[in-house]
Amino acid sequence: MRKIWLCMLTALLCGAGTFAKDSEQYYKTAEVKHYTKMEGIELSDAFTDYLYAELRAELTKTKMFGRVASEGEVVDDADVPSSIVLNGQLIEFKKGNLAKEVIIGFSSGYRRLKLDTVITNRKDGATLFTLHTQVRTPPNRTEQLMAKAAAQEIAHELREEIKKSREKK
Amino acid sequence: MRPTKRKALSALLFALAIGCSVAFGADDPKPKPENTISVHLAQAVNPQKFAQPFTIAISDVMDRSGNPQPMLVYKPRGGIFTDRMPTEILREALENSLKPAGLLASDKETADLTARVYVFKFGLAASSGMDFFGSVEFSVMLKNPKTGATQEVRASGTSIANVAVLKKNIQKNVQENLETALGDALTNFFRGAQLRDAVKTLMKAQENPATGAEHPTDKPGASATQPQSK
Repeated sequence: MRKIWLCMLTALLCGAGTFAKDSEQYYKTAEVKHYTKMEGIELSDAFTDYLYAELRAELTKTKMFGRVASEGEVVDDADVPSSIVLNGQLIEFKKGNLAKEVIIGFSSGYRRLKLDTVITNRKDGATLFTLHTQVRTPPNRTEQLMAKAAAQEIAHELREEIKKSREKK
Repeated sequence: MRPTKRKALSALLFALAIGCSVAFGADDPKPKPENTISVHLAQAVNPQKFAQPFTIAISDVMDRSGNPQPMLVYKPRGGIFTDRMPTEILREALENSLKPAGLLASDKETADLTARVYVFKFGLAASSGMDFFGSVEFSVMLKNPKTGATQEVRASGTSIANVAVLKKNIQKNVQENLETALGDALTNFFRGAQLRDAVKTLMKAQENPATGAEHPTDKPGASATQPQSK
């Protein structure tokens, strides 16, 4: 019985160690800019506002950045080399088809949004990563739900990219 | 149909109509002490360092949101109201951040710059339904009274907070959300590249009036110079 407790305690401590490693701070600041829309994309301005807010919230949750700055914010000179800027664009949006979704199912007729995000170094503007994200949501859901899904996906992809680049180094 | 039956039916319909109107009327939220929140900036925002010392006097804070009930921030479940107008909340927050940094002028006459603030958004915006989306947007028209030159600085702040089921938790989350959004908007204003460039231009115009800022105008959006930060 005592051995089981000891094993469980060890497992818990190891788990905590892993989580602590995940929350390592990689950059001092990350500035998020509002996503721009390509011509013909039928999404409201409220969508880009909400995407901006959700993305900032999701990036804060990752704990990879000391501070997630708002658009147009000045960064201290000392922090500039370790700061990144996220610029993005909405590339493609398919409205989806509710009838298709109901009749066929299997996520056919879902809304589809494609976004490109370019992450640059604040100091010299060099491109660090480029993310191509795609999200799909049911057609009867709100735009905001799609923005939330997109923000979560972008934050997840960025986390993976940063980790990969650090492992290479 | 007999006249007595007709009378009874009409009385029933009348009662139903009255009942409906009372029921719908009850949905219209009214401010009470238990559904009123007090929004204050939790911590004063530390402004960026400027090359030149200056002071600002806030002349007017005006509501340009077009919202007929600016104090009603959340309509369902009996509503949630703020205890003051958004303009008052913003004025207090701006002054509380300017004062510790030594940027607040004691009066309009001695101020290097005067500020006219226009509030565009203050409250909750449409969200995914799984969270509260607080949004604060305002614009500050900075004016150099000596030269008459003006510059516009826009600022916005957002905040995402969790939804709640209980009324008191909803109230707490909405209050926190608004305070965070207000703080974020003020950080965006005080630490923004727009303010840095606007102050630089206006103070430069004072030294050399020939190379001044834009033609004096007090309407927001008229001199929308939005330089990008590095």
